[in-house]
Amino acid sequence: MTHTSLLKQDARTAKRNRAETRFQAYGLIAIGIGMLMLMVLLTTIVSRGTGAFQQTFLTLDVTLAAAKLDKKGERNIEDIKKVSTFGYKPLLVDAFEALVESGAVQSDLKPKDMAGILSKGAEAQMRDAVLADPTLIGQTVSFDFLASGRVDGYLKDRVTRESIVNDKNISSEQLDLVDQMRDAGVLGKKFNIAFITGSDSSDARPEAAGMGVSMVGSLMMMLVVLALALPIGVAASIYLEEFAPKNWITDIIEVNISNLAAVPSIVFGILGLAVFINYMHLPNSAPLVGGLVLTLMTLPTIIISTRASLKSVPPSIRDAALGVGASKMQSVFHHVLPLAAPGILTGTIIGLAQALGETAPLLLIGMVGFIASNGPETITEGLMNPNSAMPAQIYEWAKRADPAFYERAWGGIIILLVFLITMNFIAVMLRRRFERRW
Amino acid sequence: MQDIPQTSEAPVASTSKISAKGVQVYYGDNHAIKDVDVEIEDKTVTAFIGPSGCGKSTFLRCINRMNDTIDICRVQGQILIDGEDIYDPAVDPVQLRAKVGMVFQKPNPFPKSIYDNVAYGPRIHGLARNKAELDEIVEKALRRGAIWNEVKDRLQAPGTGLSGGQQQRLCIARAIATEPEVLLMDEPCSALDPIATAQVEELIDELRQNYSVVIVTHSMQQAARVSQRTAFFHLGNLVEFGDTDKIFTTPEDPRTESYITGRIG
Repeated sequence: MTHTSLLKQDARTAKRNRAETRFQAYGLIAIGIGMLMLMVLLTTIVSRGTGAFQQTFLTLDVTLAAAKLDKKGERNIEDIKKVSTFGYKPLLVDAFEALVESGAVQSDLKPKDMAGILSKGAEAQMRDAVLADPTLIGQTVSFDFLASGRVDGYLKDRVTRESIVNDKNISSEQLDLVDQMRDAGVLGKKFNIAFITGSDSSDARPEAAGMGVSMVGSLMMMLVVLALALPIGVAASIYLEEFAPKNWITDIIEVNISNLAAVPSIVFGILGLAVFINYMHLPNSAPLVGGLVLTLMTLPTIIISTRASLKSVPPSIRDAALGVGASKMQSVFHHVLPLAAPGILTGTIIGLAQALGETAPLLLIGMVGFIASNGPETITEGLMNPNSAMPAQIYEWAKRADPAFYERAWGGIIILLVFLITMNFIAVMLRRRFERRW
Repeated sequence: MQDIPQTSEAPVASTSKISAKGVQVYYGDNHAIKDVDVEIEDKTVTAFIGPSGCGKSTFLRCINRMNDTIDICRVQGQILIDGEDIYDPAVDPVQLRAKVGMVFQKPNPFPKSIYDNVAYGPRIHGLARNKAELDEIVEKALRRGAIWNEVKDRLQAPGTGLSGGQQQRLCIARAIATEPEVLLMDEPCSALDPIATAQVEELIDELRQNYSVVIVTHSMQQAARVSQRTAFFHLGNLVEFGDTDKIFTTPEDPRTESYITGRIG
């Protein structure tokens, strides 16, 4: 046997070390690619979506002429209600006329066309304000009106003078007016809370569309999922894990739960359509039905994660409880379940987050494409009235023709992601907080 | 084994606390305990010794029916405690386990406070009518577990934060808090250092005054130190059973002698 020096690597060691270095490099590359993808995704979403949180507003003084709004002059609310939004149109025209007369802006446009730079919801905004406070009639009130989607696009560089050549909704003269008003400081972009709290709008008013009502729809569905999937899932897991005999029946159940977790979500959607709507006659597009469908989808996730966390509780704890004369149920509920709780909660939150982002099953039960214009007043209404959900709302906006909706789809994705990240963060915190060591 | 050499005269049935007759245990197809007869006396420490896999722990777990929790385990024969067959269909294993306490190989305190560890048994069995009574029971159990002085100032601290030896004494205190009549100990010192072992052994000797203690151990010295009676198991058979002094000085079966002298096991 020849003497070999430890100070010099032999060929085998050198080869092994090279292999190890290479492997670590592959790992770093893989992580790098992953991070890069994430960065691209996040920057795209943020750069395209943040615009939706800002909206162009025009501050305009409008004289709410009593002659037009309350001809009898009695301030009777019923009379005031009879004036439709159409009746408010002349007020806007008058306001623009006054603006030109005051010399604040110069334009050859007819005042009627000037009003075209405003959202079509401007009249409704005035009417709502008057109905809420009839004493405003006869006064000159300063309103913050939404500018039309085209004007908003012009301020966000989405709409240019070249792109509007064939556009009937806006003209070059109107954009001249917009420039003047922007320079005068009465027109500009502001944070738009209505995008987060408001409801969806029709195709003609992209500037007024918001996520709020669909958020309520999602929230209602999550309530249904939480109320059903958590107790059912945990009860099923406890029974299977702690009480059920191990035989071929439980084996089949186990295999099928795993299979259920792999079933495409659209299958759950068509099941929901067949069972909940066609057979049980629950209302179309209702968050209750959506919640039931998502419950079916979330159950396997919750069962699998609950069983995993029950399994991870050391058997010695069960022995200890049985050893002092606790019954099986006492040992489970007093000792095993509290120790498994953080894992169960984490699994549930992950399952909920998954359900929150699910769109496909909602397609089939009519929650996609529905324009939810008014938020529900009560919990029952929230469950039973037709509504949309956040991902469905995003899909709805993304498929509309007007690019103004496209921006809102990205904005909606930001809101959805904020929800998902918050839920995952809570899951991580819970696990950190309650994790026990033995 | 048909004839088990009895190194002392057969104990009279009336003095024995636990009496096993023809006990067979199967794990699936594996015949783990073969026809074991044993008489365990009250207020005595009985040690089960034998090489690994000889069935001593399995037999111990038959005495409080902990084997019931293992699906594939079947027990045949009779085990009588105070003349009552514990495998009678009328017997509720939960009630039995309150009467036959158990201490496990690895200290397994609940991840709760020291107080709650000991109070758990009395609570579920309704042994205390109020907080004061429960406090009293907990203190008594911790004193008997020889750990009171170490933990009396931190009863609300987690039981899992104690040292290994303290944890095991806490588990013993937890087992005796429910006032059992028999205490089963499955290698209670195997995870402990020599000092903690000495403390637990001392405790076992004190417990003998009130309970019938059955201890499974790998250490023959420990069996010799703490027990009055010793049973030697080998390959599922009870080879020899008798007074500890006798077993360790003049064993009758050659297998016992081989094990004690270190030639097998």
